[in-house]
Amino acid sequence: MSVTIVLLCLIAGSPFVSPVRAQGPVTFTVGWTGSTLDTVNPAAFTDSDGASKIIVNVIYDPLVRVNINGTTTPDLAATWTYKNSTIVDFNLVHNATWHDGQPFTANDVVFTIHLLLTHPEISYLDEFVGTIQSVNALDNYTVEIQTSKPDASLLTYDLVNIPILPEHIWVNVANYTSYTGAPVGTGPFKFVKFGGPGTYVVLTANDNYFYGRPHIDQLVFQYFSSSNAMALALQSGQIDYAGPTFPNAILSTLSSQGNIQLISRLGPEYYYFCFNGYAQGYGNPALRNKNVRIALSHAIDSNELAQVVWGGFAKPQNTDIPLALGNWVNPNVQQYDFNLTTAANMLDAAGYKVGSDGVRVGPDGTRLALKIEVPSDYSEEYRAAQEIAGWWKQIGVAATPQITDTDTMAGESVNWKFDTYIWVWSTPAGGDPNLFISVFQSSQAAPAPNPGFSDSGYQNPVYDQLYNQQHQETNVTKRQAIVWQMQQILHDDEPYYPVYDPYLVQAIRSDMFTGVPAGLLPPVFIGSFYTLLEGVRPVSGVTQSSQTTPQTTSQTTEAAAAISTEGLLAIVVVIVAAVVVIAVLVTRRRPSKKGQ
Amino acid sequence: MSSFAYFARKIIGLLITVFLVLSFNFYLFRILPGNPFTLLFRGSGLSAEAMHNLNVQFGLDKPIWYQYIVYLKNTAAGNLGISYQTRAPVADLVSFALVNTLILLSAASVVSIVAGILIGVVAAWKRGSKLDVSASALMLVLYSMPTFWLGLILLFAGVIYLHLPVSGMTSITGDTGAFSQLIDLLGHMILPLTTLVLGLTGQYVLVMKSALLDVFTEDYMVTARAKGISNKRLLWKHGFRNAVLPMMTLVSLNLGLSIGGAIQTETIFSWPGMGLLIYHAILARDYPVLQGAFLVVTIAVIFANFMADLLFPLLDPRVTSR
Repeated sequence: MSVTIVLLCLIAGSPFVSPVRAQGPVTFTVGWTGSTLDTVNPAAFTDSDGASKIIVNVIYDPLVRVNINGTTTPDLAATWTYKNSTIVDFNLVHNATWHDGQPFTANDVVFTIHLLLTHPEISYLDEFVGTIQSVNALDNYTVEIQTSKPDASLLTYDLVNIPILPEHIWVNVANYTSYTGAPVGTGPFKFVKFGGPGTYVVLTANDNYFYGRPHIDQLVFQYFSSSNAMALALQSGQIDYAGPTFPNAILSTLSSQGNIQLISRLGPEYYYFCFNGYAQGYGNPALRNKNVRIALSHAIDSNELAQVVWGGFAKPQNTDIPLALGNWVNPNVQQYDFNLTTAANMLDAAGYKVGSDGVRVGPDGTRLALKIEVPSDYSEEYRAAQEIAGWWKQIGVAATPQITDTDTMAGESVNWKFDTYIWVWSTPAGGDPNLFISVFQSSQAAPAPNPGFSDSGYQNPVYDQLYNQQHQETNVTKRQAIVWQMQQILHDDEPYYPVYDPYLVQAIRSDMFTGVPAGLLPPVFIGSFYTLLEGVRPVSGVTQSSQTTPQTTSQTTEAAAAISTEGLLAIVVVIVAAVVVIAVLVTRRRPSKKGQ
Repeated sequence: MSSFAYFARKIIGLLITVFLVLSFNFYLFRILPGNPFTLLFRGSGLSAEAMHNLNVQFGLDKPIWYQYIVYLKNTAAGNLGISYQTRAPVADLVSFALVNTLILLSAASVVSIVAGILIGVVAAWKRGSKLDVSASALMLVLYSMPTFWLGLILLFAGVIYLHLPVSGMTSITGDTGAFSQLIDLLGHMILPLTTLVLGLTGQYVLVMKSALLDVFTEDYMVTARAKGISNKRLLWKHGFRNAVLPMMTLVSLNLGLSIGGAIQTETIFSWPGMGLLIYHAILARDYPVLQGAFLVVTIAVIFANFMADLLFPLLDPRVTSR
């Protein structure tokens, strides 16, 4: 029993600390699951560091940002002017400082872009150099960037994704990709602590942020490897916000709790059904016929799929640009209506008659027997593949749904060894449609192994010309018109059947924090996170410490205990009792049977 | 044969085993279809040129036998390479994860072994009684429960009713005093520890019980009882000491394998250990991390068996070193 007393004294004498509940400073804790938190060094990014990119985006600033509606807004560059179609002058803010106090100047911009131009091993950021050819500082606060040809996505895709690094620190770094020093940026939050891969990051507000200090004092970004654990953390108040999205099964539990608000926004990505129509590929040759593809599209109902696979939490697409991209989407293009009779008639007209086994055969003997593959990373789409197979069976097309390991499927795609599959295109920050329309260029389709991005094998010189035109059109309205036209062409030829854009459902403790901005994109996402952080603030009248159980001692004012002493006492008593019982049983002397 | 020669032979055998396992792992990862950069390339906007650069940077464009030689050379020097995913040195990642796993799993092993022995001994001694039947049944039930489900239930109960922290190993901010950090760690550890212990104890109980029952049938037990030795001495000094050998085998096997981490438990509780590291590395085809992690697990298993080999003669003088 003395052991118990000693244990109790020890526990009562020191506070049990759980994720921050400070009395003074306001802390906003964001929970995250899915892509891991690997590093805070932007030069070390690979494609999978989703969470890391979001955090780095609030430590560092780019020249321009994309806000929650996908619009480009000034950041380190306050204004800019096009001297001609390939030269842009950026007038930088004068009062930005690095987190270590040094002033920000044009030299930092020049240094950063030069670094990326000359170091291809910084592979992720290197992509965003794009057509940039040279960068010069005209004076301390003016930078001139020249591109090799007119580039419409210089600001909206390239510069928004390049964090500006401090020259005075990085000039001394030997190996950029393995640099582990504390990140120093100009952003609204300063780096405090990184707990290691897959754990958490602690940031504190930058009082000198040139666009104004955020309303919260401390930002904690915590990684959870399980959505269930994250939901529990939100419910019990250990985190204030949770993202990037919750699976359907958990949503009903969350929404039933009064103090949790669900925030449902479209992600800058979409799911598509790809037909392998490449002439030099190994897919079913029938898919090279546009009328076959359109017929099959009439036999897919994306509304039904959104219901069945996502419980309604996905918005069916009409074009090959995600709905989250707002005005870039051509609203006049309508999806082919779901009509099995039309589909069957079109297949008949194309020469594919139903054979004796119920499967259509073409004049050249090609059977309409197809495989519908789904990558293992998106295994929930298997349900969609099954639905589609069911519809197609009714029109005489034998389809086999199959889940394939994602990496294997990537290999099949590159080698054109597939019939159809469902996959996803996504872009790092909203606001530029380039990635989505670039995959249909003829230049992106080459015989196996294909180094380009095309998986439809689409080849159309008219489309190619329009692509080049829009890529060089710096006037947004004119560019939009061209992109709308391109979507119409894609609809007419149907290399893909665009399926849906899923909603990312995030959640906030509405009794603790308010100020989530309305907009198109999810609040916690690579581009839009800073918009959330600039606006979010604690609900007035609620102090964070009132949410936790009071301490039994007055040890410290910094943190309040989150474990109730009653709980710990209960555990200790149970363990001690169990040990005592077992010990008594074992040592008791009894002339009992000996288990012979 | 002198014990030194015996010892030396064992060590050499160990090293050969490690070498063979390493080579086999290397080969195994290379024959998997797909290449880690194809995945990055297809999944987003990585250009062909960047992909080529990555391949060159990581030496993937060289012939296989060349990569193999480089791999052996580097491993012998302690350089486990760089992770494809995070660009951090693999040795750092693995040692970080390993320490975390060791903390959790050694505590779980100790508790479950002790509990397993106690419960197994009691069950064997009181075989047939209500205590034995209920204990054995309970252990079987707990052993067969899916770890994931058990962990979720405990997580739910722990967070809602006991206000325990939901995830991770330590609190994010808080006192930096060593003692309060320890309390903090223990608090984070209670739930995953309980999950693991409930699952692991069952096998120890069953093995202990059956080994002890086996020993009870031996003649020397009857002799000892006839000599008038007390029950307690009979049970522990004569019975248990002889029954502990099969337990030792099981313990050493489990200890070695547990270095690989408890993937399900670590996932639910976001415990950044070897299990999670290996899982994420598999998803990303991060060969260097996988090779590094498997190297560690191999060495751990081999070492644990080696220690068991050494300890056996101590426990049982009849097993002489040949």
